[in-house]
Amino acid sequence: MQLIANIVTLAALYALIASGYVVVYRVSRVLNLAHGEIMMIGAYLLLTTGTIAGGPPALALPLALAASVLTGVAVYVVLMRRMSGEAVFAAVLMTIALGILLRGLATLLWTGQLHHPAQFVGWKNAPVHLPGGAAVSSAAAFTVVATVVVYAALFAALRYTRWGQRLRAVGENPRLAAQRGVAPASAHVIAWALAAFTGGLAGMLLSLDQGLDASVAIVGLKTFPVVLVGGLDSLLGALAGALIVAAAEALAIHYIDPLVSEVAPFLVLIAMLMVRPWGLFGAREEIDRV
Amino acid sequence: MRRIVASLAVVGALACAPPAGAQDLVVGVSALMTGPSAGTYAPVVEAMRLYFDNVNKAGGINGKQVKLLISDNQADASKAAADAKKFLLQDNALLLLNISLSSTYAPMVAEAKRAETPLLFAGSVCPREVYPKADAFLYCTTAFAAQYDSRFALDFIRKTAKEPVKLGLAAMAIPISRAEIDFAEQQLPSLGFTAAGKEVIPPPTANYTPHATKLKEADANWVYSWAPWGMQVKTLEALRTLGWQGSYIAYAHLNAEDELVRLKDDKLFVFGTNAFFQDDLPIHQAIKARATGASYPVTQLGEGWVAAMALEAILKQAGANPTRASVSKAMNALKVDMQGLRGAPIAWTDDNHFRTSVAYRVYRWDSAQGKVIRVTDWTTFDVK
Repeated sequence: MQLIANIVTLAALYALIASGYVVVYRVSRVLNLAHGEIMMIGAYLLLTTGTIAGGPPALALPLALAASVLTGVAVYVVLMRRMSGEAVFAAVLMTIALGILLRGLATLLWTGQLHHPAQFVGWKNAPVHLPGGAAVSSAAAFTVVATVVVYAALFAALRYTRWGQRLRAVGENPRLAAQRGVAPASAHVIAWALAAFTGGLAGMLLSLDQGLDASVAIVGLKTFPVVLVGGLDSLLGALAGALIVAAAEALAIHYIDPLVSEVAPFLVLIAMLMVRPWGLFGAREEIDRV
Repeated sequence: MRRIVASLAVVGALACAPPAGAQDLVVGVSALMTGPSAGTYAPVVEAMRLYFDNVNKAGGINGKQVKLLISDNQADASKAAADAKKFLLQDNALLLLNISLSSTYAPMVAEAKRAETPLLFAGSVCPREVYPKADAFLYCTTAFAAQYDSRFALDFIRKTAKEPVKLGLAAMAIPISRAEIDFAEQQLPSLGFTAAGKEVIPPPTANYTPHATKLKEADANWVYSWAPWGMQVKTLEALRTLGWQGSYIAYAHLNAEDELVRLKDDKLFVFGTNAFFQDDLPIHQAIKARATGASYPVTQLGEGWVAAMALEAILKQAGANPTRASVSKAMNALKVDMQGLRGAPIAWTDDNHFRTSVAYRVYRWDSAQGKVIRVTDWTTFDVK
């Protein structure tokens, strides 16, 4: 039972992070390689709001999430909007530069030491006991709940709301969408804001569980195989990819060797690229275009 | 906001720092200041900067100002190599300091040897070449010491445990940590301990619970970890989430004192060679007085202060007009009283550039007293 709990909690974290990669890629075709750093900035924003506002988390967390969304908007308005019309490759390079910039800024503003935002927002992170003698931290349990809510909201919004349909339209054919009166820039800015929201939330929950330093960004980058396994433009794929990669990692730790867990996601990825290069649920033409 | 302004001021000061004058005592510092492991090294640099700011304000050493040229190598070997070349060829540095990950060692060692200039490791892992019989140009002030640390920790467990020890081991998947935990594992039979799992955890890990699950299922009643602080403490927290009740001993890195207060775990023991600030020695009070405005907590400045004390003594002993050769000569006969910051002096000889003896203390949180307490006083080992 503990093994299942470990897989589910890890999968939930990966899925939450992966949703940001998928939303930005699906709408703008940009592979955001700074997503890990945006996630890290979200966690540092929680540290700041927690320090300023103090507990309870019900106050600091929404403030930090709002600041995260603004970060996503700022990234698009200041940097990514200028890449419109440029080659996708150039936009990806821009995200790499952005990642380096954010890492440096984080050290400058918050120092390189290990922080514990939980201290400032009054988060106890007590164990949650599950049937079968299993236990997870309350931050991990909250991550599972948050992932379910975020995915349900994203599925519903993209399918049933007007702006969700606009996002999909811009993602599928930006020129046609523009001719129909949908401004691609407004869809893109919403996508970046959403990605910063989900990534920031993942970073915040991870930092409540394990503390916060610059290595949080690397966890974001480690999630990259998840989206490739699931399919870069598929939220359903991100869920499936997260579950597969998390299971591969946890099973490798449990039954083979902890060190194998580091390469397990990439072994899964290589297998997927050999069999189905566009991922489990990805659109076939997307990988051709890449 | 104050921190932001202070950080920008530091950057500005570094960027606009005037070139070293001919009369300055120039020391080239290549350090890991930004990136995932910066928290281990940047406080050392900050402590040294604060220390020599005060030395310079008081007139410097032998009438000369000490100029620390600090460069961020980001744990990148090529940047460290470029730093070393610049310090040696352009800035005419008297000695070099490495405060970074081992990935930066090789190029700096090569450059230092080529220029016959001493290279001091301060806050970074002491390389094998500083132990007897030491390399002529390499020295180290860093607290932790491979193999000696494990010998002490395992002996502490043997003396403290009230029941047969089933020992779990936790390392990070980096060479230095793995080698130390492998060494500890080899000692278990001679100590009568039962091995109860060994987890070598890749950095960074999104969830430590799977690793903790294995240690718990191996039925460990003690766990020993020798790794970067984050990994040590995250493994412990995951074990506690799973309901594990055993005792945990870990190396006391820079932030250990603050972390004991945060965790309030009576069964977490930390051992190391630096005295905690809760001891409130006169030297601790002096550091607190000089560290106003520091961006890192004062409790994390001890390691850098030790290195700075050693460096000041070196430069004093190197003569009124020091050269690289006179600095090297001074380092080979150095003995610096640590004023209680450590249990043994920094003492170097011609063939021992680590120190001739190393002393350990153990601390833990005590719930009854509501504070960090000293579990054992200095236990000294001779370094041979």
